[in-house]
Amino acid sequence: MSQTRRQFLQSALGTSTLLSLAPGIPLFLERTARAGAAKRTDGDTVLVMIELSGGNDGLNTLVPYTDDAYARSRPTIRLPENRLHKIGSDFGFHPQMQAFHRLYQEGHMSVVQGVGYPNTNGNHFEAMRDWHTAHPADTTCQTGWAGRAIDHAYSAERGNVIGLSVGPGSRPLALNAEKVPVLSLRSLDQWKLQPPAGDKGDAYRKQLEQLAEVPRSGDNTLLDYVRRTCSGAYADSRKVEAVAAEASGANYPPFQFAERLRAIAQLVRADCGVRIYFVELGGDGFGGFDNHANQIGNHDALLEQLSESLAAFVADLSRHNLLDRVLVSTFSEFGRTVKENGRRGTDHGAAAPMFLVGGRLKGGLVGERPNLTDLQNGGLKFHTDFRRVYATLLDRWLGFDSELALGQRFEPLDLLEG
Amino acid sequence: MSTHAETTSPARRSDPGWAWAPYQPDAERPWNLARAGHLLRRAGFGGDWRQLQQALADGPSRSVDRLLRPEADVAEFIRTYDEYEMSLSRSESIDALQAWWLRRMIQSPHPLLEKMTVHWHGHFATGNVKVKSSELMRKHMQRLRQAALGNYAELVAGISHDPAVLLWLGADENRKSRPSEPYARQFLQWCGLGDEEMSQRDIREVARAFTGWVVLRNEIRFIEREHDAGVKQFLGRQGPFRGDDVVRIALAHQAAPRAVVRKVYRWFVSETDEPGDPLLAPLVEAFAKDYDIGRLVETMLRSNLFFSPAAYRRRVKSPIEFALGIIRPLEKLVPTVPLGGDLAELGQDLGNPPTANGWEGGPYWINQATLLGRDRLAAALLSGSGPYADALDPATVARNHGKTDPAQARQFLLELFLQNDIAGHVRDRLIKLGDTAGGDPAQSLRRFAHAIVVQPEFQLA
Repeated sequence: MSQTRRQFLQSALGTSTLLSLAPGIPLFLERTARAGAAKRTDGDTVLVMIELSGGNDGLNTLVPYTDDAYARSRPTIRLPENRLHKIGSDFGFHPQMQAFHRLYQEGHMSVVQGVGYPNTNGNHFEAMRDWHTAHPADTTCQTGWAGRAIDHAYSAERGNVIGLSVGPGSRPLALNAEKVPVLSLRSLDQWKLQPPAGDKGDAYRKQLEQLAEVPRSGDNTLLDYVRRTCSGAYADSRKVEAVAAEASGANYPPFQFAERLRAIAQLVRADCGVRIYFVELGGDGFGGFDNHANQIGNHDALLEQLSESLAAFVADLSRHNLLDRVLVSTFSEFGRTVKENGRRGTDHGAAAPMFLVGGRLKGGLVGERPNLTDLQNGGLKFHTDFRRVYATLLDRWLGFDSELALGQRFEPLDLLEG
Repeated sequence: MSTHAETTSPARRSDPGWAWAPYQPDAERPWNLARAGHLLRRAGFGGDWRQLQQALADGPSRSVDRLLRPEADVAEFIRTYDEYEMSLSRSESIDALQAWWLRRMIQSPHPLLEKMTVHWHGHFATGNVKVKSSELMRKHMQRLRQAALGNYAELVAGISHDPAVLLWLGADENRKSRPSEPYARQFLQWCGLGDEEMSQRDIREVARAFTGWVVLRNEIRFIEREHDAGVKQFLGRQGPFRGDDVVRIALAHQAAPRAVVRKVYRWFVSETDEPGDPLLAPLVEAFAKDYDIGRLVETMLRSNLFFSPAAYRRRVKSPIEFALGIIRPLEKLVPTVPLGGDLAELGQDLGNPPTANGWEGGPYWINQATLLGRDRLAAALLSGSGPYADALDPATVARNHGKTDPAQARQFLLELFLQNDIAGHVRDRLIKLGDTAGGDPAQSLRRFAHAIVVQPEFQLA
C-alpha cells in the first residue's frame, strides 16, 4: 500500500492500519483506496482540452509551404508564402496566427504531426465520438476517456471537482464518467454563493462557513465526508470570488472563447483542484471548422480566435507564475482533404496535427512530416495514434494511469521536460 | 434518533433473524419523530408536517401500511398524469416529460411508487440522448412505474422488448447476420449476470436468441426471418432459445435475485456498508420464489435493521431527494421545468442517465461544485423570487401549523426538516444564526430554512 493510501485511510478512518479494520471499511472508502486515488496536493497539474469542432484543416493551420504538392492541390485556398509566420525552412503558421508563432518560438508549443487512428471515420458524429471515447472500435461505448480517468482519480478524501466542461453546450462525451457527475460551467457565478433572501453583507455567510467547520460527533463517515467537502467548497468559493474581483491585468481579446479561457485561468489561480477542463471552439451545427466551401474567411477568423485567445491565456498564467502547471491540447475529429474541392473548400480528411501549449513542453515539431502524396481517402495518413497523445497527457502530465482510462497500453510521446 | 447514543452491535446487525424481523418500538428504540422522518424520507421524498404527525401517531406498522397501500385514489392520480403526459408533443426534448415526472413526485399520494420508479430508471438506465423520442421515453417510464412494486420477472420481460431500450443500446436492428452483443451483455448485467457468471460465448448465444427484434418507426416488431432459430447454449442449458427463454433462464440463476436484493438494500437501507450474503439470504430466497418487488420492499421497510443506526443517515440524498425534501415539507408546488434543469446541473438529469448503469450515487453525489449547486438551488427555492417565485414560504407553513412566534417557527422548521435530530452544539449555533438574522421575520425565516437545508445532515437520507 502506498504511503498516500495509508495516510488517506488513517485520516478518513482514524485508524492506524487498514487490515485491522478491513471488514468494517465503508464500501466507497474501500473502493477509493483500491483505485489508488491520488491525494490532491496544491499545485497539481492542469490539462485544458480544446475541441476544434467540424474538422480542422491542419494543412492551412501549419502550412508545409515548400511542398509542391501543397501548392498544386490547392489552387485557390493555398496560403501565400510571404504571409506565413515561418518556423524553420519548411513550415509556417497561418497568417492570422502570429501569436502561435511567438509561442512556438518561445518554446511553449509542441506540434504533434499526423495524428489519427486506423480506419479514420469520415462522419462528423462518429469521428468525434471516437475521439471522445478513445474506443474507435466500440460504437456503443458510453463513457469518455477523461471521464474514465476522473472516475479512477476520484477521492473521497476531499471531494474536489476533478473535471469540468466550460461553456454553454452540454457536457462533452469525453467527460462522461460512469460514477462521478461532471458538470458544465456556464459562468464562474456557479462557483460563487448567492446570498439568500435579504442577506445584507456577509454576516450570514460567515456563520454558515463557521458551522461547516464544526465537527460532528458520532461515527458516520458519510456525514464527515459531506461536512469536510462543504467546508472546502465554501473556502474555494471565497478564493474564486477573490480572484475574480482582483484586477488581473489580463488582456483577453473580445471573443466568447477567450472568456472561457479567462474563467479557466481564474479557477487555476484559485487553485480549486480541477485537473481537466474541456472547452470548445467553433461548436455550431457540424462545427465551424467544417469548411466545405469558401473556406478562407471563416477559417481565418476561427484560427485568429484560437491563436489570440490562447496567447492571452498563456500571458495571464505566466503573469501569475502558473504556466508551468498548465498544459493545453487541441483536438479535432479529423483533418481535411489535401486537394481543395472545387468550391474553394475542403472535404473530410484523416490525420491532422495536434497543438500543445504549456510551460513545460520540450517544444518543436514532433512526429513524421506528413506526406501529401501518399493519401487515404484524399486525406493524410496518420503516423501517431491519438491515444498515444492521450496516454502522454494522462501518464506524464496528470499522473493518472492511462491504461485504466484507455483500456490498454499506448506508448507515451516524449513531449515534456523532465 | 437520537440514535447517536444508541448502539446496535455488529453481531446483532449481521444476524438475519434479528435484522429482518419487524421493528417493534421499545424503551431502548422508541418510535419518535426521527424514525418517522427516516421512514418518510426513504419510502418517499420526505414528509410534510401533517404526515410526520400522522406517522408519529400511527406507529411504524400502520405507517408502512399507508406507504405501501395509500388510502387515496392512486389509480385516478396516475390516470390524470398519464393523460397530461400523453398530450406532450413527440418532440425530441424530454424537458416537459421530466417536468411532469417531478410534478408527480411532488404531488403523488403514493410517493413510494415514484421512489421505486426512479430506482428502476437508475437500474434499467435508458437515456433519451440516443432514444431521441419523448414518446418512447414516456412509455418506458410508464412501464417502469406499472411494475415498480409489482412482479420483477414481468418487468424484465417488458424491458427486453422495450423500443426505447433497444434504441438506447444500439440494438434496434438486431438481425440474424449481426446479433448485438453489447445489448446482450448489458441486458444480462441488468439481470445481475456479469463476468463472473457469463462467458463471452454465453453472451454471443444470448445475442443470437434476441435476433429478429427490430424497432421500425418507433414500434417494436418481430421479424421471423431475421431471427436465428438455431440451437443456443446458455448457462448450461441448450435449445432453440428466443428472448423470452433468455429472460426465464437468466432469472432462474441464483445471481439474479441476489443482485436485485443487494441493489434495493442500497436504495432503502444503507450505502455505507456492503451487506454480507448471509444477511441477505432470507430476502433472496423469498424473492427468488415469486419475484414480488412490493413484498421485498415491505420486508425491508418494516425491519429492525431499517430502523437501526446502521441505516439512519447512511445514504446520501440524490439531487431529487434533496430538492423534494425542501419542497414537499413546504406544501406547495414549484415550477418543475426549471427544477429539472437545476437537478441536471447537480448530476441527476432524469431521462438522461450517464450510462446504462445509471447513477452511482452515494458519496459520488457530493463534491464541491455540487454542494455549491445545492446551496444555490436551496437559495433559489426559498428566496421568494426568481424562477421559483414565492411558491415556498416557510413562515406561512409555520403559521398554518400554529407557530406564529419567530422562536416557535424556527423550532418548527428544525423539526420539519431535520426532526430536530442534530448535535446539540450544532443546533445551538444554528438557532443563534436565526436569532441574529434580524430584519423582516418572514425573510429571516427563509434564511433560517436555507441554513438548515445546506447543513451536511440534511444532505443525508
